Amino acid sequence: MADFRLQRLPSTTPAAALGARILAIALALVIAGVILAFVGKNPLALGLQVVTSSLGSSFGLEDLGLLVIPLILTGLSVTVAQQIGAWNIGAEGQFYAGAFAASAVGLFAPLSGGWSLVGMGVAGAFGGLVWILIPALARAYANVNELITTLLLNFVAILLVYYVSTDAWRERGGVANSATPRIKAEIPEFWGLVHWGLPIAVLLALAMAGLLAFTRWGYEVRLIGSNPAAGKYLGIAARRHLITVMLISGAIAGLAGMLEIAGTVHRLQGGISNNYGYLGIMVAVLARGSSIGVIFAAALMAFILNSGIILQTQGLTTSTVLAITGLILFLTAIGDELSHYRVVRDKS
Amino acid sequence: MIDLRSLSRRGFLNMAAAGSASLALPGLVRSASAATALPAVNEKNAVIGFGHVGPVTDEGWTWSHHQGVLAVKEKFPNLKKVLEVENVPYSADATRTYRQFVSEGANMIFDTSSTGDFLHEVVRRAKDTAFMECNGHVLMDNLGWYYLAHWYPTYVLGVAAGHLSKSGKLGYVASFPVASVYTSTNAFLMGARTVNPSATCQTITINSWFDPQAAAQAGTALIDNGCDFLFGIMDEAAYLQVAEKRGVWAAMWNTDIRRYGPSSYVSSIIIDFKEYYVEQVRKRLAGEWTPTESLFAMGAGVDRDAWGEKVPADVGKAADAVRTKILGGWSPFVGELKDSKGAVRLAKGQKMSEMDLYNWDWSVEGVTGL
Amino acid sequence: MTEPSHRYVVPTGAAPLVQLKGIAKYFPGVIANQDVDLEVMPGEIHALLGENGAGKSTLMNILTGIYQPDAGEIIIDGYACQFASPVQAIAAGIGMVHQHFKLVNAFTVAENIHLGWSETPRRASAPALEERTAALAQKFNLQVKPSARITELSTGEQQRVEILRVLARKARVLILDEPTAVLTPAEARELFKALRDFVSTGNAVIFISHKLDEVLEISDRITILRGGRKAGTELAADCTPAKLARLMVGRDIVLADMRARPPGAAAVSSSPVLRLRDVSVLNDNGHTALHGISLDVRAGEILGIAGVAGNGQRELSQVLTGTRPAATGVIEIDGHAIAHANAADFVRRGIGHIPEDRLHSGLAPGLSITANAVMREYAKPPVTIAGIFRPRAAKALARQIASVADVAIPDFAMPIRNLSGGNQQRLVARREMRIASKILVAAYPSRGLDVGAINTMLRYIVDLRNAGAGIVLISEELEELLNLSDRIAVLYEGRIMGVLDNDRVDIDEIGLMMGGRLRGEKGAAHG
Ligand SMILES: Nc1ncnc2c1ncn2[C@@H]1O[C@H](COP(=O)(O)OP(=O)(O)OP(=O)(O)O)[C@@H](O)[C@H]1O
Ligand SMILES: [Mg+2]
Repeated sequence: MADFRLQRLPSTTPAAALGARILAIALALVIAGVILAFVGKNPLALGLQVVTSSLGSSFGLEDLGLLVIPLILTGLSVTVAQQIGAWNIGAEGQFYAGAFAASAVGLFAPLSGGWSLVGMGVAGAFGGLVWILIPALARAYANVNELITTLLLNFVAILLVYYVSTDAWRERGGVANSATPRIKAEIPEFWGLVHWGLPIAVLLALAMAGLLAFTRWGYEVRLIGSNPAAGKYLGIAARRHLITVMLISGAIAGLAGMLEIAGTVHRLQGGISNNYGYLGIMVAVLARGSSIGVIFAAALMAFILNSGIILQTQGLTTSTVLAITGLILFLTAIGDELSHYRVVRDKS
Repeated sequence: MIDLRSLSRRGFLNMAAAGSASLALPGLVRSASAATALPAVNEKNAVIGFGHVGPVTDEGWTWSHHQGVLAVKEKFPNLKKVLEVENVPYSADATRTYRQFVSEGANMIFDTSSTGDFLHEVVRRAKDTAFMECNGHVLMDNLGWYYLAHWYPTYVLGVAAGHLSKSGKLGYVASFPVASVYTSTNAFLMGARTVNPSATCQTITINSWFDPQAAAQAGTALIDNGCDFLFGIMDEAAYLQVAEKRGVWAAMWNTDIRRYGPSSYVSSIIIDFKEYYVEQVRKRLAGEWTPTESLFAMGAGVDRDAWGEKVPADVGKAADAVRTKILGGWSPFVGELKDSKGAVRLAKGQKMSEMDLYNWDWSVEGVTGL
Repeated sequence: MTEPSHRYVVPTGAAPLVQLKGIAKYFPGVIANQDVDLEVMPGEIHALLGENGAGKSTLMNILTGIYQPDAGEIIIDGYACQFASPVQAIAAGIGMVHQHFKLVNAFTVAENIHLGWSETPRRASAPALEERTAALAQKFNLQVKPSARITELSTGEQQRVEILRVLARKARVLILDEPTAVLTPAEARELFKALRDFVSTGNAVIFISHKLDEVLEISDRITILRGGRKAGTELAADCTPAKLARLMVGRDIVLADMRARPPGAAAVSSSPVLRLRDVSVLNDNGHTALHGISLDVRAGEILGIAGVAGNGQRELSQVLTGTRPAATGVIEIDGHAIAHANAADFVRRGIGHIPEDRLHSGLAPGLSITANAVMREYAKPPVTIAGIFRPRAAKALARQIASVADVAIPDFAMPIRNLSGGNQQRLVARREMRIASKILVAAYPSRGLDVGAINTMLRYIVDLRNAGAGIVLISEELEELLNLSDRIAVLYEGRIMGVLDNDRVDIDEIGLMMGGRLRGEKGAAHG
């Protein structure tokens, strides 16, 4: 009799990791299919519907193109911080802060057209940067764990945006939810409702990848991130690098908020981030520390999120859809871990 | 702007038992003059979509709209598809949801909780689809809106509150400082002040339409502040349960949910979209649909619920007398009105139009917290 | 030291505790193990010898379920086994203490002992765990402080915790990967005693080491690996260091006497290039680790630092290389006082540093071999030109360093932690020697190296000196120090007990100084 067992391997090849990830997604889809069949739906028909709706029509592809913009940037934000060994759980808050600052410029600065957009972009990045400044300094000078500080500041940013959008900056005679008046400066769309934020996000990811791989600074950042003691051994200004990298991380998330305002939503309102900051953490996990990987991970994430919306229009309840997308994301994330295992046969 | 109460008066005549009054068509504000009707669709090929803000099981706002969806399905059993999505967030995800409706061939889409620009983004790119936005403000060639003139039954509840509240301190659990909340708080206090001129209305905003925990906390805080009558716009019953426990009065929104607090329950703003939805779909299928703006009149889609079991009969009677007076064409919303800072906002004798009421964005004197 | 004359006899009729048959393990581009057979009997201490990268650690990782063999069988007590993880291996009675410890630093000893152990009580308070730990320590005669955190422990103490962790799980086979590399001689002796006790009850020990004397002293039989294959199993009593070295390398190793200065070698400079004056240094916990030390390092000399590990060697090497500031006192390079110590600055002035814990401070284990090899030269051409880092130039430099260090590397993009311990050490050493034009501070440079590699390494150090660099050689091996140094300073509890010229050294005197006597105390007695 042969007996099958799982064995854990200490290291894994990229091919195995990719294979495991595909396997994990396939597994998630099978489980999702079983759930769907269980609630009385036809999983194959639904699957086909999801694929044709999101990939088979320009409407669907545009939706993906739009959704992927903030996901690339928040994912990149988290990934950049990871390079130096910091966990930016606060991309959500920096996103809000960036949206807030960009809106302030868009609403009140006496700039016109393109200049207003430039001003909003600078303000957005600066807003995100300011939002991570305290966690960065606290980590650099007092060794305060950035996980908690960045997370806590999320709530502050969310409340700040709620306050201004429902009170100080609220559009009088506003509708169901409170929001600011529409901001005049808008990023032009180049493909359906997809705006120029998409190429900006992709270029930024490529630029970060280049900076990390092909500059002296990038080398030092990777080194400190991998082993802080080695930074000390080499006499690298680890503290300055840490602060710089965290500020860049915050600025990228802030820029994501600006693009969402100027390209997609056009008003500052509560809930503007749609959890993109937290989803960025997932994107970063999927991207495994690669800035270019972020682009693909964000695309996958956008596809999964969009599939969730398509499934809802097919009469699935929100909770079922949440369960399915959650399952897929979860299994995809542990795909790497799965790649450490292989099946062996016991001879006995 | 046309004052529409004259047009919708026939709703008043059909005053039926409270809570099930919706025999007549609601009041039309105006229609987009230039728009031509979209071509007719065969029922067998027609796809109708509904997007809701909450879950259909909320026993409140979304449940009420869902009853409308069921009525449409019953009336038009051969529709190709009826798409219904719950929990559509007020974000770019709303755009994605409605775009998906369009991708699936929707001929008509109802946004039952105004997602504003997020919806309009889709409306502009789907010229062959008819859109209706509940609590909307914008009319386009293929977009209309509808809402309820809830301020009349609210005023009636206010009168009852004036009688029932001993402290004269009324509490209000609000979602966001938006027009419907301004109108609701103002109408409520104005009704109460006809009985108790020194009554006040304290408001707490919880930034959600559906957050039982926050609503319960707000209710508790209001009672702790001396309020002995709670009202609010919530899609669930949390503050009613608080009122029941603390022994104060409460009035609600959307549906009859007295079983959550039978001895505290005073009444509710009852809403009903069934006939309106059936009629809109019929028009769309028949090729008669053009974008319109509608405010349901009291008795025609919105009303007060039957009085609670502990409400003294004479209180109910006094409030109903006011209700009858309104149904007869009288408007309580006449100047002089001062805002919460004491400035006169409406001159003596001046009457607020329906659209003024719909877009109210300031608090009358005595309302605090917005 | 202890019963060197006892002669091991393979018990007849007894079944081996552990039997490996035809084990093979391949990594991309490397045959780590092939056709390896190994038999360990109850009651035996079995040593595993081999050059750096010969596959010793890999073989043991296979036996403990960390790696899966690509071929071969593991037979325990006569039954074929497959271990999917170390947890399964320990359940079968096989436990390992690694070259690099795997303790959780922030946890206490008791918590580390109980971590991931099926017998840990489900709900246990800290005192309860500590009590259990104390009982275990008593039972196995290994003294540990149950409530201490790992960071507070010396290396020897940490090792005891690792061993206790394994023994507590009822191991019958204890595997030790280079356990004595980090121990003081006294600690090593204690360890050997504990190992003897352990095998006396029918258990077995597998012992990896590069110290041939030690191997001959402690083990009953010795298996030698060469290039991943087994070169033979011998009774320890039949072996000599020279024979073992021959088996390991495949040829004789001639240990050179390195003290002689060849003609043309740079002379010792008259003025010091690096100088400490009354320097006091704090350790990580803020306690004074060096008390007002004064030391001169001249160009063209090797200054040996003798002493038992843990007497301030780490802090001394750090203050000499700018990685730790001096609390008081003056550091001078070429006669100029250095105001703010900065490691990068020291490197620019030509001061190299082979640190004592290469994996933790001298390397970034998760980064590629290339990234690690260029750590000292990444900022200047050809690796970086005008701020642009050039991966290809970096790889070329890494290749160059690896070839001089005599390390065969299949893939420079592989994380450096995949290299064998000795090969990591060789790379670090070569990397530092390249830049040490003025001073090289070498802390335990031969630690983890095989005999051949030690010889080469010391040769290079001497060459560097002959080329005019000053060398600070920190070591516990007196023999090594005497063989190389021009002068020897003895460090005891953060103080220099005295500095001796090598041609007038008295070994007994050094021994006494290492124990805390000042220079001259003994000399005075002699008159
Ligand atoms: N995970 C791995 N991936 C790739 N190569 C590896 C891995 N682990 C070990 N190797 C390679 O296998 C060979 C044997 O390594 P191993 O660590 O077993 O040597 P060793 O005999 O313990 O040497 P040392 O005395 O230096 O510790 C080396 O060439 C090493 O680079
Ligand atoms: Mg090894």
